[in-house]
Amino acid sequence: MSHHKLEAKNLHFNYPDGHNAVKGMSFSIHHGESVGIIGANGAGKSTLLMLLMGVLFPNQGEVCVGDVQVTKKTLPMIRQRLGMVFQDPDDQLFMNTVYDDVAFGPRNYKLNEKEVEKRVLNALEVVGILHLKDRAPFKLSGGEKRAAAIASVLSMQPDILVMDEPTAALDPKSRRRVMELLRSFKHTKIVTSHDLDMIYEMCDRTIVIKNGEIAADGVTSEILVNAELMDACGLEVPLALQNCPVCGSKK
Amino acid sequence: MANIADSIYNMRLLDDLARQETLIHKLHPLVKLLTTVSYLTVVVSFGRYEVAGLLPLFFYPVMVLALAELPLKPILLRILLVSPFIIGIGILNPVFDQQTFELAGKEFSRGWVTFLSILLKSGLTVTAALLLIATTGMDRLAGALRILKVPRIFVLQLLLTYRYISVLMEEVARTLRAYSLRAPKQKGVHRSAWGSLAGQLLLRTFDRAQRIYEAMCLRGFAGEYHSGEINKISGWDWAYLGGWVAFFVLARMYNIPLLIGSLLTGVIR
Repeated sequence: MSHHKLEAKNLHFNYPDGHNAVKGMSFSIHHGESVGIIGANGAGKSTLLMLLMGVLFPNQGEVCVGDVQVTKKTLPMIRQRLGMVFQDPDDQLFMNTVYDDVAFGPRNYKLNEKEVEKRVLNALEVVGILHLKDRAPFKLSGGEKRAAAIASVLSMQPDILVMDEPTAALDPKSRRRVMELLRSFKHTKIVTSHDLDMIYEMCDRTIVIKNGEIAADGVTSEILVNAELMDACGLEVPLALQNCPVCGSKK
Repeated sequence: MANIADSIYNMRLLDDLARQETLIHKLHPLVKLLTTVSYLTVVVSFGRYEVAGLLPLFFYPVMVLALAELPLKPILLRILLVSPFIIGIGILNPVFDQQTFELAGKEFSRGWVTFLSILLKSGLTVTAALLLIATTGMDRLAGALRILKVPRIFVLQLLLTYRYISVLMEEVARTLRAYSLRAPKQKGVHRSAWGSLAGQLLLRTFDRAQRIYEAMCLRGFAGEYHSGEINKISGWDWAYLGGWVAFFVLARMYNIPLLIGSLLTGVIR
């Protein structure tokens, strides 16, 4: 399953204003892994995702999906394999109905309408919003929008799922639902978030980013409990692992 | 501020209406487009003094409105929205037109006739265009334009403009809400903030549009907008088009109100 592999080799990226956002990042993500990418605001997480997706291109270094380098030429093929869920679902949902939005990707790949319908209904069912298929996306609640945004990516049947803050701005129940949903996917998953409890529960591996560089890369259960490392990177140990807020005793 | 938020919802009303499944909605979009275009051509082809000839053409919007089960009020409201422009164009006609005519013993400028004809024509054409969108939807309409081989770039521009209007309006609503919460005693926006507000708005909308575009590209968008399959044109579609075009031609060639009038007076005599 080498085509599910995602590799970043010595990535460097400067914004046009000279800001050096990514400085020599290298890592390799294998089939079926779920990887959390964490870091303080402005550490370079979003830029990194944009580089992985081919929205931005590195000044130096390369990104490979399987054995194919991400370049302008290979983009259509790459984007069929990588699905990205945006932080703000409003950016992703712009069609008249949820159905049309979820069908947008498959239709762009010129699948016949029968196959499109099959994929759309299947994706909507997986995220549990089949009953909303004829609603206008802008009338949905936050949790429903997020589910619709995830469905709109799933309908493309990507090998690798990339998510930017999937649990941001969700109420606790909706957050839990999205987490259960993501856990049920057997895809390779790459998740950026400040919700460290979610990362702790969902990701086996975590990459910590600090000032555009990789500060740590390893097993989540070891990295997130390292209070010194977390503190140095502008983060803290997940709430679930901190002392009891009432009695102060260790859990 | 509520007005702007409301208008976002209102704006999408035509899209919502377009999703119904009535006799008219099920027609092929190309047929509806061609019917509308021929209707518009006939309406604008009437001379400036021919008001009576326009009256039979009311039959078309009334029929479509009834068959498509569309609510009258929102459509009328939208026609009212453009009425200031129309009145602005026509209101000086009674002043400039020196010719007069007599009605009930009084003399009137013929400019009133041209003004009335402008009002009727614009009312009819705007209604026809609104009905087309409310029974077809922008996406399917774009499909029809593509069948007519209208270049892809124009169709795409039309669709994306239509989409981005709501993006712009949402940004406006948010910005104004933020402004009004911190300027509780002001009515509207103070002129000292106009420049920066408009500039911010433009930049934020650019940003947002860029993100939406990226999201589209990531899902395989490559310049062609696919709005699903459109069925083939059926015999019933052709009959609909043929029937209306025949009616429009008749209404253009013969003065139907006059004919009916003379027929009735002939019968009475």
